[in-house]
Amino acid sequence: MKKLNLLKSAIIAVLVGLVCFAFTAAPERITVKGSDTLVILAQKWAEEYMKTNSGANIQVTGGGSGVGISALINGATDIANASRKMKQTEKDKLKQRYNTLGVEVACAKDGITIYLNPANKVTELSIKQLSDIYKGVITNWKEVGGADQSIKLYGRENSSGTYVFFQENVVKGDYASSCQTLPGTAAVVNAVKKDAYGIGYGGAAYAEGIVICKVKKDDKSAAFVPTAETIKTGEYPITRFLYMYLRNRPTGETKKYIDWILGAEGQKLVVDMGYFPVK
Amino acid sequence: MLKTILFVLVTVLALNLKAQEPTVSEKLTEVNDKVNGLLERVATDEADLQKLAKIKVSGYIQAQYQNFETPTLLAKSQNYFSLRRVRVKFTYEAADGIKFVLQPDFAPGNFVLKDAYAVVNDRWTKSWSLWAGKFNRPNYEVEYSSSQREILERSLVVRTLYPGERAIGAKLEYNPQSTPIHMQVAILNGADGITVNNAAGTNLNAADNIDYDNSKDVMARVTYNLPLGSFGGLDFGAHGYFGSLKSMTTLTYKSDYTSSTPSYVGEKIGKNWLGGEFQLFADVLGGLSVKGEYISGKNASIGYAPAGAVLGSANFVNNFAGSYLYVIKNLGKRNQLAFRYDYYDPNTDIKGADVTIKQYDATSAWVKKASSKSDLATTTYGIAFHHYLDDNVRITFNYDIVQNEKVGRTSGISNIRENYTQADGQVVTNGIDYGTIIPQNVFSIRIQAKF
Repeated sequence: MKKLNLLKSAIIAVLVGLVCFAFTAAPERITVKGSDTLVILAQKWAEEYMKTNSGANIQVTGGGSGVGISALINGATDIANASRKMKQTEKDKLKQRYNTLGVEVACAKDGITIYLNPANKVTELSIKQLSDIYKGVITNWKEVGGADQSIKLYGRENSSGTYVFFQENVVKGDYASSCQTLPGTAAVVNAVKKDAYGIGYGGAAYAEGIVICKVKKDDKSAAFVPTAETIKTGEYPITRFLYMYLRNRPTGETKKYIDWILGAEGQKLVVDMGYFPVK
Repeated sequence: MLKTILFVLVTVLALNLKAQEPTVSEKLTEVNDKVNGLLERVATDEADLQKLAKIKVSGYIQAQYQNFETPTLLAKSQNYFSLRRVRVKFTYEAADGIKFVLQPDFAPGNFVLKDAYAVVNDRWTKSWSLWAGKFNRPNYEVEYSSSQREILERSLVVRTLYPGERAIGAKLEYNPQSTPIHMQVAILNGADGITVNNAAGTNLNAADNIDYDNSKDVMARVTYNLPLGSFGGLDFGAHGYFGSLKSMTTLTYKSDYTSSTPSYVGEKIGKNWLGGEFQLFADVLGGLSVKGEYISGKNASIGYAPAGAVLGSANFVNNFAGSYLYVIKNLGKRNQLAFRYDYYDPNTDIKGADVTIKQYDATSAWVKKASSKSDLATTTYGIAFHHYLDDNVRITFNYDIVQNEKVGRTSGISNIRENYTQADGQVVTNGIDYGTIIPQNVFSIRIQAKF
């Protein structure tokens, strides 16, 4: 009986110790990882937040939405930035490792922008045409009203949320094998800038030195460029939310930081950086 | 004269030097050719890399030390180091939506091919997938990876019903994109990991790569993920097993040890059960989950016919029930605590007190069948603490408290007792008494490395 009491006491002591350990204050460093689309905004948020909150320590890195979510599941980051929704398989992994379903915070909106070289005569494309172009069905610009030149496709790597979102909502099939995958939206913009017959896609905030192609839902619709107005009204057809994912409901400094992002100051930066506010 | 010769020499040399130096255009052509050559090589390498990228290799090693509590010092080792699982998983994505998986287990002395299957996903709705080969049977605990499990081994009821976890067959899965419902229907040989001995003690199902009878078993599982807002989510569902084993004899006993039914060779002896499951995930205090399952039904084992002087062994159909309940709590980012209640009663028709008392009468043609320790229920309380050193390495301390159902006692001694042999070779008669709880707790320390 004595032996049993000793065992019980030991188990209770260990349990109490562990539970106490679980609630000890964690250091206030916040790590943010993920979407390359969101990374420049996330860096700006961190920079501005740390200016007014001297105690805060926020580290932001990119890598792609998939990389960020994997890091969240592995415990390597506190916040995962994503330009797509979390997949069921990723939720299942989070359930297995942390026993939670994760917390989704929509922090900005984005219009996926179609980049063209200024030398290209084409100014607008329909979703169907974009799909056919990226599937490799349309391979020459003359088929969509441009010059008699082969279309050079530029896109993102498959760890990118933009890659997944564009595939699911525009391409609706497999990308053509000729599509050159590049590590980051800036690289896509750069490639199109140098290639008169190139086409690329990515976040609106990166569109510099290229021409933004107007996009229409179908042949009968009017074509629009992504602006705050066309995104708000839903006229621009390729819009999406940008997300932050956390393992658990935020507390402490993390909650304060997220509240700030969703507040007036954070959302003003969204607009300043070329993205679109959540509301 | 000398001056003239020198002038001519210098001029010729200068002209010669100038002639050897390539022009800018030649240089450009040369560089261009080199770049084109490099681009060709890069394109070839990229094509090769793309092929290699279709092959994914992952795996894990579980090295452990275990200490087994025993009635007293037995001849058998009570503690040892072992390799529980040494698995390497090869996944080849042949094309979008087509996948081949091969997973051997290299554990010393127990090399076995765990998984070998092909999956074809429908490319249009992205909701259906067809599996063929050897894969996990559709059950929550079976499909839950050994590398993630919170208590080191599966619950006893699941281990008993699904020996080896995998089965050979085909499976259709439905995972619609828009609704959080998941359905699986599998057709299986149904004899994987089961022993069917004949009178000579030869296992007729030894080559469990193929079916030993013609009838196929069907398994189905349906689950639904119900979101509970910011609280978390509840997954719930059910699974069922509808199968049979081919009778090799002419008599079937039941687990009430009272009634028996005549059988014939080739008759399908049914084994059917249903299970209900839930997994509650709550975002409270940093992550908590409660997971449970209850399975109940009828299992069967196959006997052999009497042959001349050799007595026959009847088929045996037992009503069983089993359940488990996990409570898992994350402690910060790197630690996890888990508790599990695990209960399995292989015979719900009789109580422990009736074991050995309930029996079939002896006959001249059949082996006597009496209730025994195999009819006793087992309750196991498991507690585990996990520490994740990093993404790949997990250290686990696991303690299983195993309690058998007690049999009836007469004059302080139960009617099931067993001898055991001490380390010095001395046999202790009736040393193990099933009228008491037999010490059989297990303490394990396991290090798991994943890659």
